[in-house]
Amino acid sequence: MKVEYINPFIQSVSETFSSMLDCEVTHGKPFPTKDDGQSNHLIGIIGLSGTAQGNIAIKFPAETAMAIVGSLVGTNFSKVDSSVVDGVGELVNIIAGNAKVKIRGHRISISLPTVLRGGIHKLSSRSIAYITIPFKSAKGDFEILISFRPNAKEKQEAMHESAYSR
Amino acid sequence: MKVLIVDDSQIMRKIITGVLKKLKVSDIIEAVNGQEAVDKVGENDDIGLVLMDWNMPTMNGLEAVKKIRANGSKVPIVMCTTEAEKEKVLEAVKAGTNDYLVKPFNPKDIQAKLGKFLSACVS
Repeated sequence: MKVEYINPFIQSVSETFSSMLDCEVTHGKPFPTKDDGQSNHLIGIIGLSGTAQGNIAIKFPAETAMAIVGSLVGTNFSKVDSSVVDGVGELVNIIAGNAKVKIRGHRISISLPTVLRGGIHKLSSRSIAYITIPFKSAKGDFEILISFRPNAKEKQEAMHESAYSR
Repeated sequence: MKVLIVDDSQIMRKIITGVLKKLKVSDIIEAVNGQEAVDKVGENDDIGLVLMDWNMPTMNGLEAVKKIRANGSKVPIVMCTTEAEKEKVLEAVKAGTNDYLVKPFNPKDIQAKLGKFLSACVS
């Protein structure tokens, strides 16, 4: 996957956490997503359509999800309830929405978010290849998973537009 | 005057409510989709500001703005959304949106953007 499709999501995560949580994040090197065998996660996922197809997911350990969503609303969560699930969905919505504006040469729409409880196998069953970007924050570690496939025609136009805009 | 928060995310409604309360806005009502927003604007003639999300189930925020204006209401409406592309902003303004607040935002952003609309809603 090209760096110009990955960087907008990294920037969006950083901006979202800085703005809404007053929390700085650092990211590691992207790698192909593999099932890590962990199942106690909350995964917020949102679909992309338009001149590219794909999905964006944010994957939190349950404890990190409770800490981050709790920080958003000034509450301490002791269990994963509907508010925590809703907060994970809203975070992926904001991150995806903010990122799609930054991807040059594309017109992308986002779906409504859904939140899964479990592990990566719930995503891999959809036969879609993802890239994982690991993040560290003071509120816990988490990952962003990206599947981004430009449509053939738009891919050529995006390359053309990118060449002219340099 | 009331502030109507329209967002399908309960967490986002809580975040915005928390900021509004710090700004001394106490009369706050909520809707979880565009249709509920249209209904509540029709039922309440004391709403002084509507904060409208864009992407929601049942009826999205843009359609809700169009219906609210078609029903004759002139209540100020501020879109609070991730839809930040220029053409989306223009589409919202054309539909009758008064201002635009892009997510992600922090309390200072909300205060700066909404201050001019909130004078009638502060208790």
